[in-house]
Amino acid sequence: MHFDQHVAVPDPSAGPDIYRRHAREWLGKNLPDFMRSDSLNWRAATLAESSEWEAAMYHAGLAGMTWPKAYGGHGLTLREHLAVNKEIGALPMPESVSSIGKELAGPIIMTVGTEAQKQSFLPAILAMREYWCQGFSEPDAGSDLARLRTKAVQEGAHWRINGQKIWTSGAAKAHYCLLLTRTGTVADKHRGLLMFAVPMSTPGIRVVPIKSIDGKESFAEVFFDDVVVPDSARLGSPDEGWSAAIRVLSIERATNRMYRPWRFECELRQLIAACKSDSRLSQVLNDGYVQRRVGDLVAEIDGLKGLVELTVERLSKGESIGARGSLTKLYWSECHQAFASFALSLVSQVGPQSSPLARRAQKAFTQAYLFSRAETIYAGTTEVQLDVIAQRVMNLPKDLA
Amino acid sequence: MTMEDLQPEEFAQAADAAITDALSHQDPRKTAEILAQAGLCGVMAAEADGGLGLDISFALPIVHAAGRLRLPFPLAEQILLAHTLVDTTEGQALASGERIATIAWQGSLNDAWIRVDHGNADWVLVADDNGAVLIDIEGLSREEQPTLDPDHPQTWIATQDARVLARLDSESWPALQRQAHILLAEFANGAAEGALQETANYMATRVQFGRPLSAKQAVRHLLARMRLLQEVSSAAIRRTIHTDEFGQTRDTRPALAGAIANAAFVIEKAIHLHGGMGFTWELPLHRALRAVRKLSAAFDSLAQENGRAYIQSV
Repeated sequence: MHFDQHVAVPDPSAGPDIYRRHAREWLGKNLPDFMRSDSLNWRAATLAESSEWEAAMYHAGLAGMTWPKAYGGHGLTLREHLAVNKEIGALPMPESVSSIGKELAGPIIMTVGTEAQKQSFLPAILAMREYWCQGFSEPDAGSDLARLRTKAVQEGAHWRINGQKIWTSGAAKAHYCLLLTRTGTVADKHRGLLMFAVPMSTPGIRVVPIKSIDGKESFAEVFFDDVVVPDSARLGSPDEGWSAAIRVLSIERATNRMYRPWRFECELRQLIAACKSDSRLSQVLNDGYVQRRVGDLVAEIDGLKGLVELTVERLSKGESIGARGSLTKLYWSECHQAFASFALSLVSQVGPQSSPLARRAQKAFTQAYLFSRAETIYAGTTEVQLDVIAQRVMNLPKDLA
Repeated sequence: MTMEDLQPEEFAQAADAAITDALSHQDPRKTAEILAQAGLCGVMAAEADGGLGLDISFALPIVHAAGRLRLPFPLAEQILLAHTLVDTTEGQALASGERIATIAWQGSLNDAWIRVDHGNADWVLVADDNGAVLIDIEGLSREEQPTLDPDHPQTWIATQDARVLARLDSESWPALQRQAHILLAEFANGAAEGALQETANYMATRVQFGRPLSAKQAVRHLLARMRLLQEVSSAAIRRTIHTDEFGQTRDTRPALAGAIANAAFVIEKAIHLHGGMGFTWELPLHRALRAVRKLSAAFDSLAQENGRAYIQSV
């Protein structure tokens, strides 16, 4: 693959359209055809190919927009971050293979890490030299991290870690794990929580892949048996580090994967284009119910775009967004999951006589449907998001005042 | 404070007071007079026409308040017509509240009948082949359709022999429709917010089994879903008044279709959560539902039209 890497990143102060136009032009010119899910030449990119692609995007100013220049970022604002995400979403390109590093580990390290940790970890994340996985969930501690059991015991200048994590996305390829442990006992609940940056090559770490319903092994169980790491692997101090991380996470939940509404729209266009390419499916598009359903989807996508843009507007003004990330996550996951069911119902009519694009869409949207079952589960289930909205957005009382 | 310093949110306070005052009279003429005196009817009208000359962002909180407080008056239409009929006696009469005008969202001058949601208007804007015309409906045949809203019935009006007062050309009419989509969406969203606020307050104080109903997870989750949809509508409406990074305006139709559907859901669930009281005439939530369902009827085909247009655009 060859990418245009010697790009002058434009100065966004020259106009509100400058950065979005730059992203549109670079991505349109450089995205390999085989990475486009609407291409007849589509194939799954290898890890090396994805990494090379994302590194090229970074060098073109399309990753790490808001990270400080001192740590490899471009030192720009959330407005440029949003502009780039709109264009990333508008193309049917693969998901990032380093989203945990860019959207979770990086911002947390930026907030609680030492200067040495920032210099060591952050540029490597953006340049796609190192991938991260997230070691938070445990078999007995999903949303309820008070039940976390993985234990870290200090032994002089080292820490000894024992425990088990689960649902760890990308663990098999990760260089580091953002690991959440406790220094005391389960009775301490939310007290004594401590984070580490643990190299996945450390002796005592065992990764056991889990096969998901889409046939992939995208997450895993990770066992930590007498894993010993130096004190320099610690991210912040007990309690203090995790408290800071929580604050970071509440913003990250609202600002990560901002491309979703635009990708949602891209998928809708892909579905319609595939139907139009096929004599039988194109007739379905004349059906009043289908037209109404498409109209509903367009309204939902508009609402999602509005939620994302409003978040950026508020953060840019320095306003607090509280738990508003839950609104976006919940609405996107439920609308997109319903869209995946709608798409499946259309492409399930595809057969040997169907057009090549329709046959391509049948594979893509069946896969998307299966994966969409996870969307109301990961990053806080629907029920958790509803709880958050009731508690922290609406302040609904559970007892009489 | 000068007009330049004024923020839309601050204007909302004046709107609340005037609408509350108008509601106490239950007379459309008096309502128009009070709203006009508070500057609401002419908020977007030119200063030379007796208006305030402000942009649509100032009209948004006004129609939101009208929806939230369940004002049975075509305020969105009145504001926009006073603005659009610039430098005319009709525009001035609307800004001053001397006359009341609405828009027929169903039917055109070519049809035998048009339908309006506010039959007590003096004038109605009606689509025609070249744009739209403002007609005087005094003396025209009419048939009220009180099934959905007996107090403020939808009204069919025969357009034959209608007297034309003013014309909008083929550029002005779509521009007016676009602004009307935004304001009517905000009216529906205001109605939803009012119903949601009242329901959340009631759930927080209505005690059953020793605790407020808002302690029950089923209730909390339903209220959270209602809040979600109301926030989605707000966000979708808000983005229609801004251009994108390239200076392009955004389609207003999806925001209106979404806001109406979301508001209907929120208000229906608000009635449900009030239990038996919600089903009574005494509790005014049904008035909000009737107002929003009249909008549903007026824009019944909008979602399908949006879908068809989107499919054609691919």
